[in-house]
Amino acid sequence: MLTKRQRRTFRYVLTYLVCVVAFLFFITPMLWIAYSSFRTPEAIFSAKIYTAAKDFTVDNYKTVLSVTDFPVYFWNSLRLGLVVTAASMLLSIPGAYGLSRYPLRGKNAYIMGVFSMQMFPVVLLLIPIYTVIFAIGLFNTIVGVALGQLMLVLPFAVWMLKGYFDNLPKDIEDSARIDGCNLFQTLSRIVLPISAPGIMVAAFYAFVVSWGDYLVVSVISQSQRTSTLTLALQRLGSALILRWGQVAAATVLTIVPTILLFSFVQTRLVEGLTSGAVKS
Amino acid sequence: MKARFIKENSGLPLIMPTLVVMALFSVLPLIEGFRLSFTDSNLLNKGEHWIGLQSYVKLAHDPIFWGAFLHSLVLTASVVVLQLVLGLILALALKQEVPGIRFVRSIIMASWVIPVAATAIIFQFMVEPGYGFYNIVLHALGIKANNFWFGDLQLAFPVIILLHLWRNVPFYGIAFLAAIQAIPHTTYEAAEIDGAGPWRSFVHVTVPGVRNMMIVMVTIHVLWTFNNFDMVYLSTGGGPVYATEVLPVYLYLQAWQSYSVGYASSIGVVMFVVLMIYFVVYIRIYERRET
Repeated sequence: MLTKRQRRTFRYVLTYLVCVVAFLFFITPMLWIAYSSFRTPEAIFSAKIYTAAKDFTVDNYKTVLSVTDFPVYFWNSLRLGLVVTAASMLLSIPGAYGLSRYPLRGKNAYIMGVFSMQMFPVVLLLIPIYTVIFAIGLFNTIVGVALGQLMLVLPFAVWMLKGYFDNLPKDIEDSARIDGCNLFQTLSRIVLPISAPGIMVAAFYAFVVSWGDYLVVSVISQSQRTSTLTLALQRLGSALILRWGQVAAATVLTIVPTILLFSFVQTRLVEGLTSGAVKS
Repeated sequence: MKARFIKENSGLPLIMPTLVVMALFSVLPLIEGFRLSFTDSNLLNKGEHWIGLQSYVKLAHDPIFWGAFLHSLVLTASVVVLQLVLGLILALALKQEVPGIRFVRSIIMASWVIPVAATAIIFQFMVEPGYGFYNIVLHALGIKANNFWFGDLQLAFPVIILLHLWRNVPFYGIAFLAAIQAIPHTTYEAAEIDGAGPWRSFVHVTVPGVRNMMIVMVTIHVLWTFNNFDMVYLSTGGGPVYATEVLPVYLYLQAWQSYSVGYASSIGVVMFVVLMIYFVVYIRIYERRET
């Protein structure tokens, strides 16, 4: 039988062991590419981990930002992400609020329906969507891509927000209604402010899905003009001669915005994402 | 009559816009996909003919399809099970209040938020023969590994599994951590008073506490992993020699490289049917448990 003290030591050792392994596996690859993006080609190809101070450079970033169309792709990814986030929030906030608070015949069927939409194979849906978007002249446009990405975001966003609204106390809204607030006033003055953390997470989710999407963009945008970072990265990565320093710099520029946003919502992320799972 | 309808459905105006968009961009395309799978539709030539079940007969005799089918099932099953176990271990470690744990908790989910296109590049760079990080480390340990792992017949599929784990295990870990932290302290104390050791309090307190979260995580990730396209497409493209081919990638290549939209749709219908079966069985089991 172990003493309490031995048990505590054992627990500490195990905990740190798991954390160190987790750090090495999950975080090192990102640190390695960030580190490499500041190295000269000679340093990268030297097959050494250590780099002398004189072999650090920002040339990779300079080249990526000035020689290639990278800034254009960055701008495309950014406005696409903003459009998709705005549109999906405009649709899913009232939708989720309605599902959470208002009487509705066959409500469970609606909820189950929304949830089961995540089962639809997006690769299949894209075939008819491509045809329609082509027919209405939105092929190779940001709006066309945004419409396609909406369906990636909406089902999960609605389900997640509905769970979040379910867990909020109802009393304040009731008293607001008794005080004569109409639906719009209740939503904008009461519901939005108190559910801001949940909505931020939903918005973050929408933005990250759009920013990271390759599938929809590759089908609906086939011109350089509307290409995004993910498409550019894929092209860079499959080039015959890999300039790893530049590829690394481009990768870092693609990752950094998502990591920055993540650091803002980080503490609330899981609570928001899984609120559909927790019933109180 | 009318008043009653309005009273019973007053939430309808709020959810209507979402429902319309979902109908237009998910339900109708799904139905159209079903229809296309019975035609010889091709993006290159206009006009299509009804060919009945011919695509499905062709599928049944297509070895690449069966390979992809098997890969999809094995990938989904192994990835979800491994994520569940590793996520739980990670959560148990993250739960300990030791110095520095907050830092680990705050950064560990970073791999989940970055684009898969970046993940593919990062790992291609990590496993580069010669100067990739893993190979430098392996070399220092005296192990020779000079082949490119993504291009290796034996290694490519396990590496795809590894990529999925890299992206999702931290999400599981943090989600389970949240569920564990929601378990009241008194429950653990009561178990301890009853003489339960760490193992028994894990089995009888922790596991029931995270059960709901487990169910949700598994359900969502079965759907997400089975339908996942970009992890395979962007890292191996289904190769080498179809060793990592999965259904979504095969469908994509049929539709957008061979332009055989009809045939591609039949693959999509099979995918949908597989998930439908999973969903129905899952709901049956879930409902039986509840009652």
